[in-house]
Amino acid sequence: MVDFLLQTVTMSAPLILMAMAGYMSERSGVINIGLEGKMLTACFVCAAFAPRFGAIGGVALAIVAGIIISLLHWTLTQVYRIDHIISGMAINLLASGGTAFLVGSGIGKDILSDAQRLPLPLYYGLAIVSPIILYAVANRTRFGLRHKSVGSDPDKARLLGINPQTVRFGALICTGIFSGIAGSLLVTETSAFTKDMTSGRGYIALAALILGGWRPIPAALSCLLFGFATAVQIQMSGKPLFGMEIPSEIWKMLPYIVTLLALAGLLGRNRTPAGLGKH
Amino acid sequence: MKVRIPILFACSIVVIILSLVVVKANIGETVATIFTGSLGNALKISGTIKEMTPLLILGAAVYLALKAGLFNIGAEGQYLVGACFGSYAMIAIGGPVGVAVGCIVGIVGGALWALPAGVIKAYRNGHEVITTIMLNSIALYMTRAIVAGPMKGADQHTASTSVMPANTQLTPLLTIGKLEIPQSFVVGILIVIAIGYWLNKTVSGYELKAAGANPTAAQFAGVKTKQVTVKAMMLSGALAGLAGALQVAQFEHRFYDGFATGYGFDALGVALLAGSNPFYLFLSAFFFGALNKGGTAIAILGVDKGITMVVLAVVILMFASVRYGRKQVNHG
Repeated sequence: MVDFLLQTVTMSAPLILMAMAGYMSERSGVINIGLEGKMLTACFVCAAFAPRFGAIGGVALAIVAGIIISLLHWTLTQVYRIDHIISGMAINLLASGGTAFLVGSGIGKDILSDAQRLPLPLYYGLAIVSPIILYAVANRTRFGLRHKSVGSDPDKARLLGINPQTVRFGALICTGIFSGIAGSLLVTETSAFTKDMTSGRGYIALAALILGGWRPIPAALSCLLFGFATAVQIQMSGKPLFGMEIPSEIWKMLPYIVTLLALAGLLGRNRTPAGLGKH
Repeated sequence: MKVRIPILFACSIVVIILSLVVVKANIGETVATIFTGSLGNALKISGTIKEMTPLLILGAAVYLALKAGLFNIGAEGQYLVGACFGSYAMIAIGGPVGVAVGCIVGIVGGALWALPAGVIKAYRNGHEVITTIMLNSIALYMTRAIVAGPMKGADQHTASTSVMPANTQLTPLLTIGKLEIPQSFVVGILIVIAIGYWLNKTVSGYELKAAGANPTAAQFAGVKTKQVTVKAMMLSGALAGLAGALQVAQFEHRFYDGFATGYGFDALGVALLAGSNPFYLFLSAFFFGALNKGGTAIAILGVDKGITMVVLAVVILMFASVRYGRKQVNHG
């Protein structure tokens, strides 16, 4: 039972951090298919630099890398006005190809020692606290309200004297910070970088965000649900349920099927931010 | 605006060169190996054509959806479903009839796999990119479970079907020395020509383009945009499913876990690169195919294939920004 709870936390924490990264960007109107790539880049940077600069240095550089790649996303979507989906896919391609290329050439292959890793409970604590903080920021602060208004209707926000590009700049920096932390967490858990190690977590985080209706706390709860499903799958693999063998793939499909149902509007009304993808 | 695109261009080249410098690779040698590895001799060209074939059909599938204003990221999943069920039919029936039935099964499977994405987009306003990514993952796990369980060949040790009998495998259409032109490649060429004709010369093709260019205007003009969306998505899925079935019949001769190797994502690049003219699909599929093939060749130099993915991403971004620049000029 304790094992099971621990596994749920282990599986959901990176998802929650990543969903918060997605929240910051999508609520401001920037569609973020690139979460996967951002997380992967952060993983790589943390694994490559932690042996040289220590635990804190590794995480700090991972956050910097997350911010840089998020600002690249900002430049592509806001300055060059490239379609949000295309730029997100390109970022995923860049991250996947770039990290594979560097690791394949022998960079960032070291296995982290204990001294090069921050304690896991620190990350878990952050994962629990951040949705609550973001909820408070969204509803209680000037930036939070501007952030939401830009995502809901950039044209009206512009009439009120808010520059959507500036707000999105800030929002994407936050996305970078969260991606950096989430990536470091993943490396801390596995203690080495492997090719495409995020294995779709960015997409699942995006799915959780959608399932949570683009709100931080429900999104975090959806991540817990997905983490729970993964933990169930790990515990149940190889064991029969009601006398039937259930392949582990069925459990792995679960989060995606739930998201499909949510998008079809079968799980509550559609809450897509109206300004998503608009300039 | 005029300055920005050259800046993007320069930055991209610097990034690629820098990454080669970081891993201490010989830049000239790497570029030369990509060229000789993909186009060096007849055998290499055959390899490039082999890489290009699924990209051409999948590129056509994504292109069709793109013209209707839909990003079909789900080509990968539809390709998998088409290949999985198509191969089942081919192995069960066998012979030329089996191939034909398998292709039809692939087409139907792909279309049905794309259906939820189309319906959710048209009637529930759920973004097709998210739904197709979800469907991709579901397809991946579902086909993996099927091929590890009910479809696993008795003589196989890994999750794979048994190899198809020789009379079910498609032979190359033409063999000139070491240069082989596969049959599925010709099918791909015909599909692209058919799509070009359909989009530019027929009413239903025009309706599809109109719904993609400006749905509101199209609706006023009497186009049933919702139905067009569903139809476009299903057609796109059907082509992707066919690509999967043909891949099994022509090249792979079996279905196995790990069948998908990212062709679906490359196909989006192929379609985007083709831009406004469907016949540019030949060029862009060739470019992606050659880069894929050349990417494998640079492994000898100790340079990872990943660098070709970086190049592809950069090229996609470049074309997307140039196209936007042109739009800006048109609209003042």
